[in-house]
Amino acid sequence: MEIGHHISQRYNQELEDIRTRVLKMGALVESQAEEAVKALLERDGKLAKKVASSDYKINRLEVEIDEECTQVIARRQPAASDLRLVIAVVKVITDLERIGDEAEKIATYSIKLAKKPPISAMHSTLLHLSELVLSMLHDALDSFARMDTDKALEVISRGSNINREFDDLSRLLITYMMEDSHNIKRALRVIWCARSLERIGEHSRNICEYVIFLVKGKDIRHTDLQEILAEHFPDDDSD
Amino acid sequence: MSDVLPTLPGLSATGDNADTQPLPVETRDEFDVEISGTVGKPFVDNPKMASRNCNVYYGDKQAIFDVNLDIGKNEIIAMIGPSGCGKSTYLRVLNRMNDTIPGCRVSGEHTLDGEDIYSPDQDPVLLRARVGMVFQKPNPFPKSIYDNVAYGPRLHGLARSRTELDEIVEKSLMRAGLFKEVKDDLQKPGTGLSGGQQQRLCIARAIAVDPEVILMDEPTSALDPIATATIEELMDELKSRYTIAIVTHSMQQAARVSQRTAYFHLGKLVEVNPTDQVFTNPEHKLTENYITGRFG
Amino acid sequence: MSTISSKQKIEASLKKRYARERRFRLYGVVSISISSLFLMVLLFTIISKGLPAFQQTWINLDVTLSPALLGVDANADPEALFSAKYAKVIKASLKEMFPGVKGRKQKRALKNLVSNSAAWDLRDKVLENPKLIGTTQSFWFLAKDDIDVFMKGGIDRNLPESDRRIKDYQLEWIDKLIAEGRLEKRFNTTLFTAGDSREPEQAGMLGAIMGSFFTMLVTLLLSFPIGVAAAAYLEEFAPQNNRWVDFIEININNLAAVPSIVFGLLGLAVFINFFGVPRSTPLVGGLVLTLMTLPTIIIASRAAIKSVPPSIKEAAIGLGASRVQTLFHHTLPLAMPGILTGTIIGMAQALGETAPLLMIGMVAFVADVPGSIVDPATVMPVQVYLWSDSPERAFTERTSAAIMILLGFLVIMNSAAIWLRKKFERRW
Repeated sequence: MEIGHHISQRYNQELEDIRTRVLKMGALVESQAEEAVKALLERDGKLAKKVASSDYKINRLEVEIDEECTQVIARRQPAASDLRLVIAVVKVITDLERIGDEAEKIATYSIKLAKKPPISAMHSTLLHLSELVLSMLHDALDSFARMDTDKALEVISRGSNINREFDDLSRLLITYMMEDSHNIKRALRVIWCARSLERIGEHSRNICEYVIFLVKGKDIRHTDLQEILAEHFPDDDSD
Repeated sequence: MSDVLPTLPGLSATGDNADTQPLPVETRDEFDVEISGTVGKPFVDNPKMASRNCNVYYGDKQAIFDVNLDIGKNEIIAMIGPSGCGKSTYLRVLNRMNDTIPGCRVSGEHTLDGEDIYSPDQDPVLLRARVGMVFQKPNPFPKSIYDNVAYGPRLHGLARSRTELDEIVEKSLMRAGLFKEVKDDLQKPGTGLSGGQQQRLCIARAIAVDPEVILMDEPTSALDPIATATIEELMDELKSRYTIAIVTHSMQQAARVSQRTAYFHLGKLVEVNPTDQVFTNPEHKLTENYITGRFG
Repeated sequence: MSTISSKQKIEASLKKRYARERRFRLYGVVSISISSLFLMVLLFTIISKGLPAFQQTWINLDVTLSPALLGVDANADPEALFSAKYAKVIKASLKEMFPGVKGRKQKRALKNLVSNSAAWDLRDKVLENPKLIGTTQSFWFLAKDDIDVFMKGGIDRNLPESDRRIKDYQLEWIDKLIAEGRLEKRFNTTLFTAGDSREPEQAGMLGAIMGSFFTMLVTLLLSFPIGVAAAAYLEEFAPQNNRWVDFIEININNLAAVPSIVFGLLGLAVFINFFGVPRSTPLVGGLVLTLMTLPTIIIASRAAIKSVPPSIKEAAIGLGASRVQTLFHHTLPLAMPGILTGTIIGMAQALGETAPLLMIGMVAFVADVPGSIVDPATVMPVQVYLWSDSPERAFTERTSAAIMILLGFLVIMNSAAIWLRKKFERRW
């Protein structure tokens, strides 16, 4: 899977440029997510405000990359791997933009949560969830950057952990809300944040699916993980 | 770090320890992919035409190597590949147009509806009536439009009367989508038409003898995009009656019109797959390189 | 910025380039002018020399057809009428007109005012109407060539008498005849209606024209089908890279360069000595010229066949036409303008050919107009050669006239080539 070696140097540059921008957008999104989580966990209102006001950069990048992909499709009529690259990029940046939105949401709730006393009971669970999600996002972007399908598949398989953590956290918060109805407002905000984290995990999973589509040419969305393994990674059957 | 690592006991001094051995050097260019057989699905059930172990030689030079391919009924199969890859040569194998080229030798089995088209009993004239051909350059005869279309039927005695011939001409022109444009000018020279009309006249001329298969050798390479679109649309309509094999340099055209695509490279058939697959996820590296415009 | 920009460099070279271009064009104009000058000089010489030959001097005589002189009367049978002494009658009427003539020399000169064909003309008239016998009639007779030359200004009367072919007494007679209106210049129909003759005033081109016509007919009928068939076979059917075909090709090309006299020798050895074809006939001439014309036709036809777009042939074969059908339906009709042009050029070349015909006896003096391809005949260029070789002063202008007629035929043939090409030319 390579981008270069086209007879047209310009085409190489255009595709390379798109890829670089996607990676840049990924890095931006990742740092937004990290900072949002940091602001949430450390109750840093200032940082949260900064995150909330930086989302426009991601949106602008999305529009730019979209435009570039449209141009490539119109001018170059990409085929095969090039076509898959452009299609994957268009989809990846949509997911990235959504992750950015989720980070913005977390930041917005964090501003409000920072003004209230913390719910110490679920801090560790939230910390664990966010660590999982951030590592998933990081690895998803990494697999995209390296076109690494093994890593992508591994990231997809991590999705269930996040669901488990999210369920744990939900249970914890329900208990907390039942203890004292004054807590409901805060707890709901925390649960929305957790929900956003879970969404980030889901979008990261999507990105990994696009990586597999891009490299293997197979659409594995809405397919059972075991089936995917059996069909496309027969060597990995042992584990 | 190899000098730091101790030699493991039990292995001889000349042992195959990877660290002490020079790494195998990758000498081949990464695009110099060896072609061993055809990948994909070259065979179909109940084919209209089929070739097995097709080899074509021009004198001492071999132009086609071991091509195995089926052409299904009522399908459009596109043959793509760089210039000189043998796709046109292969197309000409199918109606024995290569017979006219001195020094050209064709081997292997080739069948039309299961009949060997290269057997001594096969009359090439009859074969060419059953397997028509449309060429790259529109090549109407310098005769009237009517005579152009009527040439084949006259040659083979397909019409018993003038009215019957008129009917064949009209029907063929209609099927080629040209009748409306020329119905008042049937006696005007065919060479006076526009390029696209000329090519449709050639298609009308080919279908006037009611062939079963139509071979098209880059039929739109000399035409503008509008005329090309008209011809492509026409091919789509003709598909219901005829089997069409088209050689094209335009990958977009292959993608637009065909159901299956065969990729030829240096006289070998590299890949045959459904067109949907070839243009999104080709199986062979060479196909990928060709359709994405990479060196290879 | 010391370097000169390419714009400046180009500008500097432009002047030179344009000068060179102008110079080259000038060379072209000069060479064309020189060649057209030569052509003009040639045409002017021939035409100025040849034009008078299209006129002929006639003399009017009052002839008394007395039965006594003729030796027959009006009732005699045609055979007797045929052998009657018409020359005597003419001589008598001349004597009557110029009574003072004395001496053998002058008498002979008087008789030679009119051509010796005058007697035969008179005979024809009498045979036509025997009742003329016994009457006196006014007849126009062809003048002798010397009188004709003088009338056209070919003899200067101011020269001393000893240097003149026309003596003083002859001048007197001529002046008298002119004064009486008995000398007249008319259009020379003899040139087109008579065969060759030793007497310039009676010599015509018809024999040579018919000879050329029959020779060309034989040449065309043989060389066109053979040439086209050979060209078609070599282009369309002959195996490629075959040693024999290459050998034949080389030989055809070489044949075109063989000097024409060699073909004459070949014709003499093969056609006349071996096959016994009658010599001096258009048949053998045509055979020899066929050999000469074939390479031209084959080479031109091959070029014409080669220039037929292969796409047309492919289209026909793709529709199921056989190779012969393709040849006759498409290749030959499309190649026809080129083939015809080549053929006509070959024929024109053959029409002007002299040397090989000298070898096969077509240079013989043939007075009769040939009626078929096996009658002895001569052809136009040989006629030119024969006349140019004759000592009589009057043949000089006739030689030029013959050249003009020959050139006329060549121009007609070349125009026909151009016309055919235009007519059959088709775009594809």
